[in-house]
Amino acid sequence: MSATAQKRALTTCIALAGCFTVFSYRLIDLQVTKHDEYALIAANNHVVRQTIPARRGIITDIRGEALAQNEPVRTVVADATLITDRDAVAEIISKTLNIPHPQVMEKLTRVVYSQALKKEMPAPYVVLKKEVPVNLASDIMAQMAERKQRGLYLETDSTRVYPNEKMLCHILGYVNGKNEGMDGVERTMERFLHGNDGFRYSERDRTGREIVPYRGQEKEARNGCNVRLTIDMGLQNIVEMELDAAVKQFRPKSATVILMNPKTGDILAMSTRPNFNLNVQDNVPEDHRRNRAITDIVEPGSTFKIVTTAAALTEKIVHPNTMINCENGYFASVKLHDHHPYPDLSVHDILVHSSNIGVAKLAIQLGDQKFYEYVRRFGFGERTGVNLPGEISGIVHPPHKWSKISITRMPMGQEVGATPLQVATAMCAIANGGHLMMPQIIHDITDDQGHVISQFPPQEVRTVATKAATDAVRDALVEVVSPRGTATLARVMGYHVAGKTGTAQKPEPDGHYGHDRYVVSFVGFMPAEDPAFVGLVLLDEAQVSHDKNYGGMVAAPIFSRIGEKAARYLGLKPTVEEPTGSVMARQNTNNDYRDQ
Amino acid sequence: MSSNRRRHANAIPVASFLTWALIGIFACGGGLGYVWCKNQLYTTGTEIKSLERELVDLKNKNEVAQSKIAQLSSTAKLQERYDTGFIKLVPITNDHITVLSNSTAAPNTGELRPVSNERTHE
Repeated sequence: MSATAQKRALTTCIALAGCFTVFSYRLIDLQVTKHDEYALIAANNHVVRQTIPARRGIITDIRGEALAQNEPVRTVVADATLITDRDAVAEIISKTLNIPHPQVMEKLTRVVYSQALKKEMPAPYVVLKKEVPVNLASDIMAQMAERKQRGLYLETDSTRVYPNEKMLCHILGYVNGKNEGMDGVERTMERFLHGNDGFRYSERDRTGREIVPYRGQEKEARNGCNVRLTIDMGLQNIVEMELDAAVKQFRPKSATVILMNPKTGDILAMSTRPNFNLNVQDNVPEDHRRNRAITDIVEPGSTFKIVTTAAALTEKIVHPNTMINCENGYFASVKLHDHHPYPDLSVHDILVHSSNIGVAKLAIQLGDQKFYEYVRRFGFGERTGVNLPGEISGIVHPPHKWSKISITRMPMGQEVGATPLQVATAMCAIANGGHLMMPQIIHDITDDQGHVISQFPPQEVRTVATKAATDAVRDALVEVVSPRGTATLARVMGYHVAGKTGTAQKPEPDGHYGHDRYVVSFVGFMPAEDPAFVGLVLLDEAQVSHDKNYGGMVAAPIFSRIGEKAARYLGLKPTVEEPTGSVMARQNTNNDYRDQ
Repeated sequence: MSSNRRRHANAIPVASFLTWALIGIFACGGGLGYVWCKNQLYTTGTEIKSLERELVDLKNKNEVAQSKIAQLSSTAKLQERYDTGFIKLVPITNDHITVLSNSTAAPNTGELRPVSNERTHE
């Protein structure tokens, strides 16, 4: 080989070696040095983490009627990188979803800065509309296919639906946009209802379609558990109807009705006004969202006398027939009045006639500390523990904070702040023989296969009074709902009803009790012999004339109507033989329904 | 050159040919098999996806239907329908209700008793 040829061969070899060196360098640069960067770009382009949404658990009443459930909806999302004809896509969206065309165009033309590509690019994820009904979403996709467009996809979502709308709004609560419970049972049972979303890694081709064989890691969604309440919708409906009628008639500032099973503490029905529609929550005033049965305190008034009497009888400082001097209607040393002058009354009659002086004297005999102890024992001044958010404990001042006359005012329900639920729970203790039961709103929790995960059996908090004492109080309460007592209008034909009225003056801003604003209430149970339910009816500032604004005249008839319907609904066996052609006692207007 | 030698030089190497032919067939078959498997994989994947879509659609339809049923059969809706007269029900008045108490079982004394609906001869 000539020298020239050798030179050429060498040059060629060197050139080839140089080329291969460059290629090798580039290969190492791509595969090793920049591996992570390019792998990330590739993954971003093709690998997608798809969320498999978990179904939120449903809420039912005790008989299985759905109270809160889910409806599948779709979120319409655009991937602007895949859209070739924005105008056509915008036209489909604006026509089907009633969104103005320019608004859709604005969304579709959005650009984002890509960290991976180091440049601006069309937004790959733009939410066009949430909570689109499934059929509308399908229509959109059909139109897209028809017009040979791509770049839109649907995300699975669900919206919470409350079939009974306003009913039980304060108990059920509601969820936010992320399907998280914000109030009521939705909030307290959030960890059971929520469930856990699953996921799936999969690859997509350049048109955005999933390549099924290249599916990666996958985890199934765990659906939320179902919650069964103690509420009975039959009773709840009765309560709601009567409460609506009462609100229409008396136009109170607020009203509350609670029905409880005294033996178990189960809340059978609970309703409060004002209320709101759970399915339409725009512009609902915050005030309407409050469950006043547990968040508002009122002075219970004369209904509190059951606590004083039961305490005195349990301590055996008196017996039902012990006569108490009621000072002919005015207890001068503590400036305390009765509505009617009574010289002497038995303990039994003190409750029947709702004598303030009588119960004040019982409390004085008990003594500050003992009386306070019983008030606390009956659950006042502490949360009942019901599974609802926002419950307050009420106000019961300890004896060292009392004034000199507190011992005469507290026994008749003044200087005490109690929630309506506390009053109903205290009455449950009288009805069941002296056992303070924790109010229950949740019956059980089951998984989506129906297996019971958790149960809420009846829970006795403590024994608060002896059986003999509660029996004596019950006998007196039966007479309260007789022509002799203050709650004749609470009678239910065919049944013995036991109950107590309450008429509490509301304190004015200066601290004194006014004569215009009252909280009227009735709390009772039936049948008195073997109570099936305890009912509380409470109206705050009912708009009636001054001479009719009493628990016995406003709240007692509401209880009577609820009791009558509830007894029939529950199939309670009548306990009283009514004479043929007897007229309901509520028509009797000669009685005095006034109490203090 | 002898005829024997020429025959020997032009002989077809059958064994070798067959070997290469088999290798070729296997290679082609393997390739085609791979493509067929791959194709099957994609086809099955597409079928799976389509079935999954169908299943999700059915589940959705079921949920929508359940939601509709719950709304239409809810207490509030039934009450509304009753109030508007759509459901024609007449409330039973108290004087039309008779409450029967459970009859107590007769003691098992072995004594013969007349049945309650037995007519007496006059």
